[in-house]
Amino acid sequence: MTPVSLCWVDWKLSVKAMLRESAVRFFLLLLLAAYFTAMLLSGGMNRFLSGQWAVTAILRVSVSAEEGQGIAGKAAGLPGVRSAAYKDPETSWKEFLAAYPGLEALRTAGGNPLPGYVEIRMLPDRFTETDIRSMETALRLLPQVESLLSGGEVLSRLLRVKRWVNGLFWAGFGLLCAVFFLVLFLQEKTRASILSVDFGFLEERGIPAARIAFSRALGAALTGELLSLAAAGATVSWFFLLEKRLALIGRVIGPAEDILALPFLLPLGLFLLAAPLLHGGASLLGWRAAHAVRK
Amino acid sequence: MIEAFRVGAVFRNGTLWDGLDLAFDDGEVCVVTGPPASGKTLLLRILRGERRPDAGDVVVGGVSLYRGNPDAGKAFRASSGVVPESFPPTACRTVRDLFRLSAVAGAGISAKERKEREEELLLLVGLPGSQESELFSLSVSERARVALAVELFRTPRFLFTDMLLLNAGGEWTDMLGGLFRALAREGKTIILAERTIPERWKARGGGEGIAKGPFRLFRLPVATEALR
Repeated sequence: MTPVSLCWVDWKLSVKAMLRESAVRFFLLLLLAAYFTAMLLSGGMNRFLSGQWAVTAILRVSVSAEEGQGIAGKAAGLPGVRSAAYKDPETSWKEFLAAYPGLEALRTAGGNPLPGYVEIRMLPDRFTETDIRSMETALRLLPQVESLLSGGEVLSRLLRVKRWVNGLFWAGFGLLCAVFFLVLFLQEKTRASILSVDFGFLEERGIPAARIAFSRALGAALTGELLSLAAAGATVSWFFLLEKRLALIGRVIGPAEDILALPFLLPLGLFLLAAPLLHGGASLLGWRAAHAVRK
Repeated sequence: MIEAFRVGAVFRNGTLWDGLDLAFDDGEVCVVTGPPASGKTLLLRILRGERRPDAGDVVVGGVSLYRGNPDAGKAFRASSGVVPESFPPTACRTVRDLFRLSAVAGAGISAKERKEREEELLLLVGLPGSQESELFSLSVSERARVALAVELFRTPRFLFTDMLLLNAGGEWTDMLGGLFRALAREGKTIILAERTIPERWKARGGGEGIAKGPFRLFRLPVATEALR
């Protein structure tokens, strides 16, 4: 008896059912892989909010453009900061007029009344209260900085909502994983019941039940690994293709090339490891449940 | 050699038989006959190591199937074949599927070898080219012969058949007798459980058999000279 042949016994005995089940599993794995990749890249609401929300460091009127650029450079070097851009008083005035048209008269008395400022945006994964406060503390020490506008209480509330929404997103992923496992279990249980007479045939001919169960689980795990690899590959390709066509994807979810960075490859590796474990576990549990029914 | 010592079986709170001593030598064709509900199928299961007897023990080649290492029982079952009285409904739909399943149970049988042996064995049991036949579409006789071919496919050292002669039909009795004797001459042990032994087999040396509890045990002559 070669263990390899026993691994694929389900494929030999009911190839049509296996193909049907594998198609369902691939579709669900595709869904899981897309969800997981999107969550990894976006961090839930992190990327979107960090792109929308900026901390403004208002500079004193006396600060020159060179000094403003220098402060922006210093701010960009602070931990957790993604970008810091200096806007001179003239740009500041234009933005003010765009926001509040009809107030040109304010400038007639004594020139531009607005100072320059530095617009600071945080990294998606560092868009937290702690990181924002520590960045603010560092900027407050600079004498050129008049004041800092970060949203105050609104920001605290927003960050709280962000945590809840992110929690909900991850809970949704967990739920999807649970549904996936349930589908796997039911498929395995049904198939083990249908094939129970055939497994009985093998048991009668000296093949221990445990060996059949573990060989089937190994076969299921290998199939799961291949399916998850295909699903992950399809998802990554899909992100690269879609990002080129829809700029929104890049803004909300993140740039697809980030997937190839180590911090994203590691969780994806875990995903590829978890899929065969789920398949193997569901196969063993399905076998056990079918046997319990048979007894 | 298969030896059963003081074997007893209880079924539905009644003793079917007790203190049964049986011995089956290598290269022997034995027929165990008994009336309906006498426990022939149960006896075969006990002899195969599938069901622990309520009394006594079964020893194969000096090793107990029930009191020693459980692996001994598994190894014995792996080296034996069994043709059941009735074929349970399986997921296997065609004759070929059944051979495929048997190939899984048999060690390392390649697809090419399987196809060649399938053809040979089906020809032997009078069903050439029936690989794609649906199992449920076969007659009782055809199913019994397919089941035998599927077991012979793995070249078992011990072969147990339950009501094979009855199911296969009278026209196959001589052919099956010849086949079993040929297998026995190769050193294989064949044990058949039947209601009665065919008259022709009795006449060819089976005699009246030996009474063993509710059963009669017939040992068929195997050597070619003995048949002349």
